[in-house]
Amino acid sequence: MSEKNTASAAGALSTKDKMRKVGDLLLNNAMYIIIVLAIIYISIVRPSFLGLSSIVNVISLTAAKLPIALGIGGCIVLTGTDISAGRVVGLTACISASLLTTVFKVFPNMTEALPLPVVLLLVMAVGAAVGFVNGFSVAKFKLHPFIVTLSTQLIVYGIILMYLMSGTNNGQTLSGLAGSYRSFVTGTLFSIGGVAVPRYVLYAIILTAIMWIIWNKTTFGKNMFAVGSNEEAANVSGVNVSRTIIMVFMLAGIMYAITGFLEGARIASANANTGLNYESDAIAACVIGGVSFVGGIGRISGIVVGVLLLQIIFTGLNFLSVDANMLYIIKGLIILIACAIDMRKYLVRK
Amino acid sequence: MEERKDNEPQLRGLYRHVRISVRTLNIIILVLSALLVVCIVIGISRGGYQITFDTLGGTVVESQKHMYGELVEEPNPPTREGYVFDGWYRDEALTYPWNIGEDVVTESMTLYAGWKEK
Amino acid sequence: MDTQTAGANTAPKNQEVLLRMEGINKSFPGVKALDNVSLTVKAGTVHALMGENGAGKSTLMKCLFGVYNRDSGSVYLEGREVNFKTSKEALENGVAMVHQELNQALKRNVMDNMWLGRFPKIAKWCPLTSEKKMYDATKKVFEELDIQVDPKRIMSTMPVSQRQMVEIAKAVSFQSKVIVFDEPTSSLTEEEVEHLFKIINMLRDRGCGIIYISHKMEEILRISDEVTIMRDGQWIATRPAKELTMNEIIRLMVGRELTNRYPEKDNVVGQPKLEVKGLTAMYSKLNDVSFVAKEGEVLGVAGLDGSGRTELLENIFGIATRKSGEIYIDGKRVLNRNAKESVVNKFAMLTEERRATGIFAIRDIQANTTISSLKRYKKGPLLSDKKMREATDWGIKSMRTKTPSQRTQIRSLSGGNQQKVILARWLLTEPEVLLLDEPTRGIDVGAKYEIYQLILNLAKEGKTVIMVSSEMPELLGVCDRILVMSGGKLAGEVDARNTTQEEIMTLAAKYA
Repeated sequence: MSEKNTASAAGALSTKDKMRKVGDLLLNNAMYIIIVLAIIYISIVRPSFLGLSSIVNVISLTAAKLPIALGIGGCIVLTGTDISAGRVVGLTACISASLLTTVFKVFPNMTEALPLPVVLLLVMAVGAAVGFVNGFSVAKFKLHPFIVTLSTQLIVYGIILMYLMSGTNNGQTLSGLAGSYRSFVTGTLFSIGGVAVPRYVLYAIILTAIMWIIWNKTTFGKNMFAVGSNEEAANVSGVNVSRTIIMVFMLAGIMYAITGFLEGARIASANANTGLNYESDAIAACVIGGVSFVGGIGRISGIVVGVLLLQIIFTGLNFLSVDANMLYIIKGLIILIACAIDMRKYLVRK
Repeated sequence: MEERKDNEPQLRGLYRHVRISVRTLNIIILVLSALLVVCIVIGISRGGYQITFDTLGGTVVESQKHMYGELVEEPNPPTREGYVFDGWYRDEALTYPWNIGEDVVTESMTLYAGWKEK
Repeated sequence: MDTQTAGANTAPKNQEVLLRMEGINKSFPGVKALDNVSLTVKAGTVHALMGENGAGKSTLMKCLFGVYNRDSGSVYLEGREVNFKTSKEALENGVAMVHQELNQALKRNVMDNMWLGRFPKIAKWCPLTSEKKMYDATKKVFEELDIQVDPKRIMSTMPVSQRQMVEIAKAVSFQSKVIVFDEPTSSLTEEEVEHLFKIINMLRDRGCGIIYISHKMEEILRISDEVTIMRDGQWIATRPAKELTMNEIIRLMVGRELTNRYPEKDNVVGQPKLEVKGLTAMYSKLNDVSFVAKEGEVLGVAGLDGSGRTELLENIFGIATRKSGEIYIDGKRVLNRNAKESVVNKFAMLTEERRATGIFAIRDIQANTTISSLKRYKKGPLLSDKKMREATDWGIKSMRTKTPSQRTQIRSLSGGNQQKVILARWLLTEPEVLLLDEPTRGIDVGAKYEIYQLILNLAKEGKTVIMVSSEMPELLGVCDRILVMSGGKLAGEVDARNTTQEEIMTLAAKYA
């Protein structure tokens, strides 16, 4: 009798345990479940969503947003973040568009577009400079990255507006880009079934590979993860903590600059609103992809998956004609849920 | 110091001050997820992109609502004193023309009327 | 055990039991922190809780206040079973703690701190707080306790002793019956200690039960009625203070079997290696320390908490700012301005707080092992996976670390194995001088032996090991010479083979 009792008690316990495990699994993957369900629904209602052109579209848009996410990922690994990303993209897009153009409104004295590599290096330097300011303030003044990048974000925005007002441009949207610039970025890489895959997909793949090597195969990458997971211990272990932090932010700045360079040609114009809110997409993608705010955790592959998933869901919602205003709310909720799930995974249980 | 040393959570980062129970967090995740689903459903049910027409000084043209991938219906051409209507454009600078019979709707937008002097 | 019966028999019958903790167990991964510990505090008595660092005193108190969930055991307050979830709940039920480190809102004034979280309202229906009520109530408590502090003074402008008084007054204002003092005198002057004792006596006369945690034996013998001694997470004895002498307490605190607790010492001490001259710290208590450490020697550093042991190592390693002083290796001056430079100069440092400044908890064994020696694994501009794997393998094998694989997160290992990983990390930098700060803290007895063996092996290889420890038997068992720190100064140097714990204790109290 008593044996039976204990046996059934053990059974109850194990089913309870099982229930909890299933519950854990469901909650920890709540985001993926919602996204997958949404994708299934969309592809049933709009079968063209699974068509070739739609898939290529998703891949292209993912490629366009990947570099910025790869940059922000490093900042999140350091338990920080970078909300100046979108504005840096805007600034570098404006610089690229103003120099690689056929109508020189910002620089009325110029008659010919600068060579592409020069402009690319220039914007990378600009991105790195903003990154240096961010990194220096975080590393040396121990300010929270939120505050630092909030201020640099404002400063960069001011610079964009002044830049657009300079020359004879008078704040207008920069367009009429040079053909070589546009074709370098958006030219056809190859075509499948009559759908062209743009060249920037290739660039995104190259950048991803470079970032993977930096994160996994260099001293800097190892130091970055060490600083992210325990700054004090990294310092004691002989890691130059300040330099690592500054370099992470500078690298991120360079990635934003490349995004801006590509974005200018991709949209075929640049104005003060280019890059607005890009950082929120990138942060959301990183957190969904498992780059955790606890620091020291994250993989490049995770970031790629995160960007891809987000792009799929938003392209899908676009197919269903969901209004852009509602998309903002949905994006905000996705970030909140992703953070809550991330927190749940690493919560210390007393 | 003793207090903090022993109680130091092994994981720090942004969550190092978080003192929330897993239970509460579960509820938060569930509520937010439900909210997200509701928003998506509302978004889908109210789906449709608003196409507004800016005639830049001509007669008013009614706005239209279309789903993704649909064509814009050709509105009655607007008229303006001293000008001839020259078709619709995607941007205010009138550089990208909108081909009503071919271009499909992918987002909410405003079309601008182009004018030629008589 | 004779001590077991002593506590029970001598308990005065007329005093009622206020707080009873029975059979408390608590384990952390890899360590049994509390093993069936019991504690009984009677009304109107001061009950001292003693034990070495890591004996489980703080853990026991944390189990009382709900900071930790105990694994088993029960707590009775005035005969009623209680289970506090937070220290706030404990406070509301009349159990208060005066912390060693005061957790106060320093930018606010005294009354704000006293009434934090329960500000008196002007009236029941009115949500505004009443400054006047707060002021009067604070004044009243202060008068009762004879505390001369203006309730409107800002906390940060007051000395530590007065801030502590505020903390005590707060406990009293909650009508606390049980008040825990955790090392209350560690930062007080003699006069302030007298005042504190006056207040504690006053509280005792009112019928409070006081739990008094301290290392200072004179104090304990003066103020307490009963003494409970803990060791290695176990209850050892509870006796009336009158029956105890200082030597008896030391014996009970450290009195474990010394046979075979330490490996055989067969290292050979060689030529002088490291010379430190007049080391003085900028921001911490370390004043003019000079010594010489030799090749193949294990040099111990003893001293009380806050005597400057850790600061000494931190200043040598360059993670604390030096004011003056010179460091020589083989007669050549080295600067060691930061950890990176020290690593280049062949120094290595194992920090005291393993979790806070030692391990990268969420990273795997490989990352934890290789972080200090990444330069060695370069193949061109990139790191070679194979070289890192081999180095980690070497680390695991030579330290005999128990881990499922290199890819295991270090946080899932026990304290001893974590310590071995960090030791391996440092050995891969090929150091000549190892600075070890409490290398066996929070590690099980069995694992301790292995760490001792590793330390002695390093000395045998001709490395210089400087080891800080608060466990004296450990120093006596492993070291060749022992430096004794006291109040930030070097109080003396003893030969580990022919000294006694008493001699070290006396030296440690020299400038304290």
